[in-house]
Amino acid sequence: MIRYTLGRVLAGLLVVWVVATLTFLLLRFLPGGPFDKERSLPPEIMRNLAHRYALDRPLGAQYLDYLARLARGDLGPSYKYVGRDVADILRDAVPVSLELGALAFALAVSGGIALGLAAGARRGRIVDRLVTLGSLVGVSAPSFVIGAGLILVFGLFLRWLPAGLWEGPLYAVLPALTLAALPTAYAAQLTRAQVGAVMDQDYVRTARALGVPEARVRRRHVLRNALLAVMTYSGPLLANLLTGSFVVEHIYAVPGMGRYFVSAVANRDYPLVLGVTLVYAALVVLANLAVDLSYAWLDPRIRVGSPSE
Amino acid sequence: MRSRAAPLVCLCLLLGACTRARSRPGELRINLETEPPTLDWNLATDGVSIIAIEQLMRGLTRLDSELRPEPDLAESWAVSDEGRTYTFKLRPGVLWSDGVPLRAQHFVDSWRRLLDPKTAAEYAYFLFGIHNARAFNSGKVSDFGAVGVRAPDDRTLVVELDAPLVYFPALVNFMVTFPLRADLVARYGERWTDPGNLVTLGPFVLEEWRHEYRLVLRANERYWGGRPPLDRITAFMVQEGSTALVLFEQGLLDLVRIPPLEIRRYTNRPEYLRRPLLRGYYYGFNVRKPPFDDARVRRAFALAIDRSKFPELLRGGEQPWPSWIPPGMPDANPGLGLGFDPERARALLKEAGVDPARLPPVRIVYNNDQTHKLVAELVQAFWHDHLGVRVELQNREWKVFLKEVETDTPPVFRLGWGADFPDPDNFMNLFTSYSENNHTGWANPRYDALVERAAREADPGERQQLYDQAQRLLLEEDVPIVPLFVTSANFAVQPRVKGFVPSPMDLFFFEQVRAE
Repeated sequence: MIRYTLGRVLAGLLVVWVVATLTFLLLRFLPGGPFDKERSLPPEIMRNLAHRYALDRPLGAQYLDYLARLARGDLGPSYKYVGRDVADILRDAVPVSLELGALAFALAVSGGIALGLAAGARRGRIVDRLVTLGSLVGVSAPSFVIGAGLILVFGLFLRWLPAGLWEGPLYAVLPALTLAALPTAYAAQLTRAQVGAVMDQDYVRTARALGVPEARVRRRHVLRNALLAVMTYSGPLLANLLTGSFVVEHIYAVPGMGRYFVSAVANRDYPLVLGVTLVYAALVVLANLAVDLSYAWLDPRIRVGSPSE
Repeated sequence: MRSRAAPLVCLCLLLGACTRARSRPGELRINLETEPPTLDWNLATDGVSIIAIEQLMRGLTRLDSELRPEPDLAESWAVSDEGRTYTFKLRPGVLWSDGVPLRAQHFVDSWRRLLDPKTAAEYAYFLFGIHNARAFNSGKVSDFGAVGVRAPDDRTLVVELDAPLVYFPALVNFMVTFPLRADLVARYGERWTDPGNLVTLGPFVLEEWRHEYRLVLRANERYWGGRPPLDRITAFMVQEGSTALVLFEQGLLDLVRIPPLEIRRYTNRPEYLRRPLLRGYYYGFNVRKPPFDDARVRRAFALAIDRSKFPELLRGGEQPWPSWIPPGMPDANPGLGLGFDPERARALLKEAGVDPARLPPVRIVYNNDQTHKLVAELVQAFWHDHLGVRVELQNREWKVFLKEVETDTPPVFRLGWGADFPDPDNFMNLFTSYSENNHTGWANPRYDALVERAAREADPGERQQLYDQAQRLLLEEDVPIVPLFVTSANFAVQPRVKGFVPSPMDLFFFEQVRAE
């Protein structure tokens, strides 16, 4: 188990390094630089800027510099936000995305499982049809459509909830619902399909034949097995939700890190792009590691395979 | 199900009451849209930072309602040495928010930092007219003592220019020239603009800065012009225009810009406010490549554009404008430039020997944006219908677009220009042969000479003549660019907010604003 864990951690570090390197290189292939603006600058000023941010050095030296600083935990200065380090920016933004993401995750997992169970246990009935239809909408409608719809109904017509800003729990309701819509729908579909499959298994039939009460059959045999699929999905989902969503943070003016995934690229703010990408990569690796380890703990057969497989 | 939903509905109703909470009297909530990249006025370059900085700081001069510079931190100024030397006398009794009196040295410190190559300030070139400033910025002169600015005493600032610049008093109204406390920059380093560290001398001081979310400003009790009527300004950063507008309708914001698609819905409402800007929108030609290497072809394409169609298409208060110096700026002249004349356009093409049917498609390149797309489609239709030319539209991501315009200039491209200071030089200088912002490849020594002479010319009548001549060259003879229209800013303002007058340079001043 220790060897397995160690192998997994090393593989995770390798993934983070590959992501950092690829992002570093890809960014430099993007046309346009951080200081290209509507008003062009005199050459001596462009030289001063390039010198200040060490962009006048060879790419290889810049890369080694970057890795060396990264090893010390220094993500470098932002080019767009003068005088702020990427680490400062992330320190402000990450907790907000974590808060919103955790809320959406809780909503998605609990709501998705509950709906999936309800539908899976009553196949073909009205509840099942409603859940199936609803989850289809949830999976296919993009979040900006759901967000706009919720703002229109709860913000403009009913005026129950603020249409944006981040001033307290009340302000988190609409963004969390929007963020949770897709994973809820997906978790509901997954759970419904699993419940359907498990219900037909021999051991369930046996349990029923032995006279085990239906509620107990569902809780002990159906639910437990149906949850495995949702658990697999929840690792990457958690990483995804915790790092924030560009669309949701943008439309609700939530000061999280999701918006930087797009704005930092648009600004060619290289260190900031690298910063958010690394946080995201690290979270995905961690979440997958947690899922892998919990699997290995649940099922000893998994431990036998080598970590690279 | 119903019994479970009822408490939820009640809760929502209860909570809903909170969303109707409006700002208190004396408190103004505005939308800044995005995070100001910096509050360091030496380093700021963008329209968002300037809005915050203009509340916190003041400059040597300010602009009156006619956009003429008038005394601000400078009580008066004198010009000598045939327009080459400016001597500013500072207003007595001005205090920084920490109680330290303003001294002329604070200007020298600021300008030294602005010009220092290590600062790498993008707008250092605003002061390149000062003797040796450019040389100091490019490292050719290392002693700042050689640069033409000094403070002989606490209330006197002397500036020596290389050549007369009649608009210099308007230039020192721009934020990068504001005075600076070098002692605080030395003490706090890059953190000198953080709340608690930042010391300013304008009508408001910085209270809180929650990055990417909101900026809170508080009335400055020490402001030499008297405490402003507003107690507090909260500037949120709601990027999505339609969200900001819903927040405005919910009463959570007092002042927002109206997104283009919503303007029509607002035009007849009392909350609507429109302000024409000193901001031009133009199409440029690459004059180095055929067919636009022939001035007659460029003239023909310019003559085939019917500017009167833009306002009804865009509906954001655009004003068709055939010349380059925008209306509201001194020396603007609507009589210049090429109007709509399709017959003459076709005749010119023929004269140039261009057969529209055999001309390969003309490429218009613009950056991704609804407005730019609409404009390009309309121009495409004009050129197709009136000249019989095929036109191909290509859009680009913003930075890709900028790079392409700079290094591999498309045959036709769009760009805009907003005034930094209200002098025609700020617009006319753009198309001199040595301007970094002239991407057309056009160079005309006569134009350069006219613009340079106008910058030195103190007599208003003479100056108008020079600019008229230069504009004729630019817009009627050589035609490297076609100005299309000037734009407006569109706001929604709550009725409880009184006295808000946005400037034509798209600046906000809240010193006199009240919120009931």
